[in-house]
Amino acid sequence: MASTATKVGSGRNKTFIAILIPVLVLFIAFNTFPLVTGFFYSFTDSKGYGAFNLVGFQNYLDLFTDTRVLNSYLFTFKVAVVATVLTNVISLMLAIGLSSKIRFKSALRGVYFVPRILGGLVVGYVFSYFFTYIVPALTGTESILASPDWAWVAIVVVLVWQACAQTTIIYITGLSSVPEDVYEAGSLDGAVGWDKFRYITLPLIMPSVTTNMVLVMKDMLMVFDQIVAMTSGGPAQSTESISYLIYNNGLSGGQFGFQCANAVIFFILIAVVSILQTKFLNSKEEQL
Amino acid sequence: MAGLSLEHIGKTYPNGYEGVKDFNLEIADKEFIIFVGPSGCGKSTTLRMVAGLEDITSGTLKIDGRVVNDVEPKDRDIAMVFQNYALYPHMTVYENMAFPMRLRKAPQEEIDKMVHEAARILDLEKLLDRKPSALSGGQRQRVAMGRAIARQPKVFLMDEPLSNLDAKLRVQMRAEISKLHDRLGATIIYVTHDQTEAMTLGTRIVVMKDGVMQQVDTPAKLYAEPCNLFVAGFIGSPQMNFIDATVGEAAGKVTLTFGKNTITVPDSKAAALKAYKGKVVVLGIRPEDVIEEHEYAEGKTLTETIDANVTVYELLGSEAMIYGDVDGGSISAHISATNPVRTGSRIKVAFDADKIHVFDKQTELAIVH
Repeated sequence: MASTATKVGSGRNKTFIAILIPVLVLFIAFNTFPLVTGFFYSFTDSKGYGAFNLVGFQNYLDLFTDTRVLNSYLFTFKVAVVATVLTNVISLMLAIGLSSKIRFKSALRGVYFVPRILGGLVVGYVFSYFFTYIVPALTGTESILASPDWAWVAIVVVLVWQACAQTTIIYITGLSSVPEDVYEAGSLDGAVGWDKFRYITLPLIMPSVTTNMVLVMKDMLMVFDQIVAMTSGGPAQSTESISYLIYNNGLSGGQFGFQCANAVIFFILIAVVSILQTKFLNSKEEQL
Repeated sequence: MAGLSLEHIGKTYPNGYEGVKDFNLEIADKEFIIFVGPSGCGKSTTLRMVAGLEDITSGTLKIDGRVVNDVEPKDRDIAMVFQNYALYPHMTVYENMAFPMRLRKAPQEEIDKMVHEAARILDLEKLLDRKPSALSGGQRQRVAMGRAIARQPKVFLMDEPLSNLDAKLRVQMRAEISKLHDRLGATIIYVTHDQTEAMTLGTRIVVMKDGVMQQVDTPAKLYAEPCNLFVAGFIGSPQMNFIDATVGEAAGKVTLTFGKNTITVPDSKAAALKAYKGKVVVLGIRPEDVIEEHEYAEGKTLTETIDANVTVYELLGSEAMIYGDVDGGSISAHISATNPVRTGSRIKVAFDADKIHVFDKQTELAIVH
């Protein structure tokens, strides 16, 4: 009996290993290895090529005094917070609209999902054209992409436009999980309009709110494609996001080691933000 | 508390389907009205129209004399208990019960008093701080009741409130609801497909089929004098036996013949059947009025016996049911548990002729009870 069990067990193990090994190799090669080497390079003065020296924590210390790095953090967090809030508010409104009894509901849901399947670069270039030629032509003003004070707004608009697609779908799913009879009970109890949203809908979709807040915030903090397509970090480095700076100065600016340190800090920061968000929002979630 | 008046109420869906047709009913204050019928008969739709959850296509609905067709559900002063309870999952039991009053901006003291009063009646006091997810089905059901009674509405609507409970709990809650009705003196409309619930709870029962009201009457009257074949078959469990029989005459008496069996109709019922002479009608008799040979009172002689072949025997505890074939049809009958009859027995039964019902075969309406 025991031997049969072992035989069956070892047969299954072989299958598991056969499935696991290739994935593990790929994961280590393309994820873990770069992560570890990146971490190593963050303690060097590597330019990305040639010889390098170990410099200890010097890169990390320099990060906190480099104004360009600090500005990129300020810009990224400003954009991320504003875009996350806007995306969630707009998506929730869209989701409520798309969950109500309207004509062409499925078709509309499909249309609103389109931005999700377009690449960030494509969307970025389209909006770049929109902000550079169409908006100025309509309003007679200069393109906001050329304004160091306002270019970030254009970035926010693009980010929100694209992020709303997936966020709306998650909210629609959340809304559909609220039982219809709970709304009916609410309508008899007097929960209509804003009261209905505040006392019934919102508390019951808190799990979706948590998911969306964390996912969108994370995506927004890592904003990259849209910057490349629309502003290349300009004008006057006013739209330089952290990812863009790491990429730009790390790979073509001779700051490989320095930006690796930046990437490590950035990684820790995103993890901390996500954990804090989840903790805070989970406390608002109801155990259904 | 209040009375209701449903005048020519109809519900037609956008696709043209008529869910409810010309529904007329006056409900007096403190009545316990039951809507009963098979699935899709329109009973829940009617209830939901009273609640305001469905639009009324035609007719007039009045609560306490006021037309409420276009009044918002929240302004109709009604409370509803849903089949799936529809509790607010994110609120405690207390908050669930207080919620309707909170939205009406009732003073906290009053809310507190009402909630505790309702909790006391329904034995929920120890559960007030729990969320619905931490409650059993029976407890949730009681919270749903509590939410309805705490706010003291004019009318209670209950949509199959017991159908998600297990059999034992259902019997228990049935008794609780009955007590609650006596205690609150409330006007209640209660929807069920369970005729036992209907019979035990209602002061009056509305039997519905295909959106059409069939009969409205007290439980006893409905059982004794069903107006048509559908009501006769729906009310009573096991259901009434139906046998096609031909109306005839023998020795000046009206008779009903099926197969080689003949029943003499008592004089009290004969007059109504005269016009049907020679025609086929439906003879109805309840299982308890079919008397097996062994069940005959001692010394009483069997007249007009019918031979039957027992095909199924079901012991129910104190009594048993038998199902069998007779010439010209099939019958079921109640017998005592001590009766030796079993599956395969060849038996003789007699019909209690005073208890027979006769229905028109074409119109399905009752001719005589």
